[in-house]
Amino acid sequence: MQSVRSAWAGRTDGTAVTSPRPLGEGQPASRRKRPGADRLAPYVLIAPAVLIIVVLRLWPLVLGVNFSFTGDGDRNGTPVGVSNYLELFRDPVFRIALRNVGLLVLLLPVAVAIPGLLATFIFLRVPGHRLFRSVYFFPAVLSPVIIGAIFNLLLSADGPLNALLGAVGLEPVDWLGEPKLAIFTVVAVHIWATFGMALVVFLAGFATLDTTLLDAARSDGASTPQVIWHVIIPGLSRTIQFVFVTTMIGMLTSMFGLLFVMTAGGPGGSTYLPEYYIWIQQGQMNRPALASAASTVLFLVMLVVGLAQVGLLRRSLRED
Amino acid sequence: MKRRILGPVVAVAVVLALAACGSAKSNEGTNSGAGGKLVVWDWKSSDKNAQNFVAKAKADFAKKHPGVTVDFVAQPFDNYYTLLGAAIQAGKGPDVMLFNGGGQIRDRATALLPLDQYVAPDKDRLAGWDAFSKDGKIYAAPITLQGHPIYYNKTIYRKAGLDTEKPPATWDALLSGCATIKQAAGVPCFALGNKEGYGIQFWMSGMGSCILTPDEYDKWIAGTRDWNSPNVKKIFATWKEANDKGLNTAGPNSTAMFMDMYTKFEGGKAANVIGLMSDVGGWHEMNPILGANNLGVMACPVVTPGAVPSLAFDGGVGYGVAKWTKDPAVAADLVRSLTSTEALTAYATDAGAIASDKTVTIAGGGPAAAVIAAAIPSGKPALHVALSAKTQDVMGRVSQQLLSGSITVDAGMKQLAAADQAG
Repeated sequence: MQSVRSAWAGRTDGTAVTSPRPLGEGQPASRRKRPGADRLAPYVLIAPAVLIIVVLRLWPLVLGVNFSFTGDGDRNGTPVGVSNYLELFRDPVFRIALRNVGLLVLLLPVAVAIPGLLATFIFLRVPGHRLFRSVYFFPAVLSPVIIGAIFNLLLSADGPLNALLGAVGLEPVDWLGEPKLAIFTVVAVHIWATFGMALVVFLAGFATLDTTLLDAARSDGASTPQVIWHVIIPGLSRTIQFVFVTTMIGMLTSMFGLLFVMTAGGPGGSTYLPEYYIWIQQGQMNRPALASAASTVLFLVMLVVGLAQVGLLRRSLRED
Repeated sequence: MKRRILGPVVAVAVVLALAACGSAKSNEGTNSGAGGKLVVWDWKSSDKNAQNFVAKAKADFAKKHPGVTVDFVAQPFDNYYTLLGAAIQAGKGPDVMLFNGGGQIRDRATALLPLDQYVAPDKDRLAGWDAFSKDGKIYAAPITLQGHPIYYNKTIYRKAGLDTEKPPATWDALLSGCATIKQAAGVPCFALGNKEGYGIQFWMSGMGSCILTPDEYDKWIAGTRDWNSPNVKKIFATWKEANDKGLNTAGPNSTAMFMDMYTKFEGGKAANVIGLMSDVGGWHEMNPILGANNLGVMACPVVTPGAVPSLAFDGGVGYGVAKWTKDPAVAADLVRSLTSTEALTAYATDAGAIASDKTVTIAGGGPAAAVIAAAIPSGKPALHVALSAKTQDVMGRVSQQLLSGSITVDAGMKQLAAADQAG
């Protein structure tokens, strides 16, 4: 600003003697104001963003948490303390939902390893790698409802997969109807449906790999497994961590569609996740306050998981 | 780094604590329903086969209140009660809304206006009020009756050499008949879809009058439910037995009732199905596919000696009035127009429903609808409709565990007793 003003002043210097004077008078005044304005400016500039976050995110969050301490039905609007939370943790279905979250965390390495391994094969140029690259990504563009409907048909008790099993002399399996099996079936379908995105991230990571290291390893006589273990994995550590974080978020937040279409939480409540529980309590059971309590618990779980992952990422960035 | 993570955690803890303190703002008392306009929520009015019904109801209402406009807003059924829940929570929304009878309306009765004084003139003309009443007050007027007849495919019965006009009348006859059908026609007896846990509700209500004695049945409906009684246990034992003995189509826990179960029955993949009698999953859909003369409706096979088979039915869907509406009398008049004989005749004919209006006769429903109509006078309320939404939810899960063999009948009964007493 200063430089602009002096350039303008310089240009007018010779022609008009009077014009710099008002400017000169103004300058001390604006200089006097500036400390206050300068201090305010950043706040004014970030105000829209902060307001949006506060009004549309934090305030509803506070309202929701507040609501979870009130009753449902006849006790609508009256404070009930933590009784919603006590009811939640006494409800076997909610406990199953939380246990399933734990199960998802445990299955995370599998969900990351599959795209990682397939990307490695594509990177190592197995025959047909160009075809696989596009084929693998294809499911990622389908909506969970369509995927769920397709697999409902494929996996139904009298469906094609069981016909195939029957053809080789095996007993049919009710993939979505067995309480112990259903959650694994749904997770497997979810991984199938979403690994394409992780695969692309892995391939991008491979592009940054130092090929001279690979060549050096090969000329030193390293086998393929040795190349993968000692060169590729260490070189991709940041990519792997990123895929871990995004896959975790995907698993915890976008399984609803699949669950809704494939199992409806069943059989016997074995495939409930917190999101689905919240939806059922709010919509079907007319228990909005209980649903708010469940949402608060889910929020806290996500917060812990999210912060742990942010910490992990930050540490890895520092290493670099 | 530790401090950076701690910061947000502390902030959240403070927010939670503050929220807990400032809890419980009452959100009642707000008002909606602008003067001169009524908003109706349902999930039917956009259907092609409901257009005539809506037009008739509107015309009838316009005669009484020419200055009031009526807006029908059709919501998707999957999200209907979620949207309604949000409206109830906000204390504003539609003036008149459609409900399923039973738990869905009883759980939300606090948001509704008792209609007794307004609908008194219709009380004798319409049936099915009980499903829309709570503690002796009426909260909605029924437009349809919904029940659970047992349908059977006469073509398959004929193929198996069974008498198509004398379907099995006892449990033992059913078991042996089903074995014959499986052998001769190669299909199981019942198409079953229990993915959402609805299958058990249909079993309980379709079979209930043949398992409980008339006295037990009436007590159950009146609210005295003894989950330890041997006959109540038999409802769940036969449910499991039927599946264990191969009476059901494959994979009931992964088959959706709507519409996979019905598709199987209509496709000739099973000889029987416990269906509905209005709108979907009933004679209206099955007649054109199977042929009206090949679709039968049978009384349930008697399991307990002394039980008297009867058709289980209740009010199906009905319109209620929100507590927050501006002029309750006008909104109640709209409900009366929606349940007028003219409107209900149009609905029953176009949508294939059994209307709540006793003066409406079913035209062109074939033998199946005729059997249902004949069974209505001696019919009783359905057993599962008397249960709370929560108990129904638990029952759905227990029924799935029974089918998969991961729970015993006794353990299931214990869960159900606890849920029913809590609810």
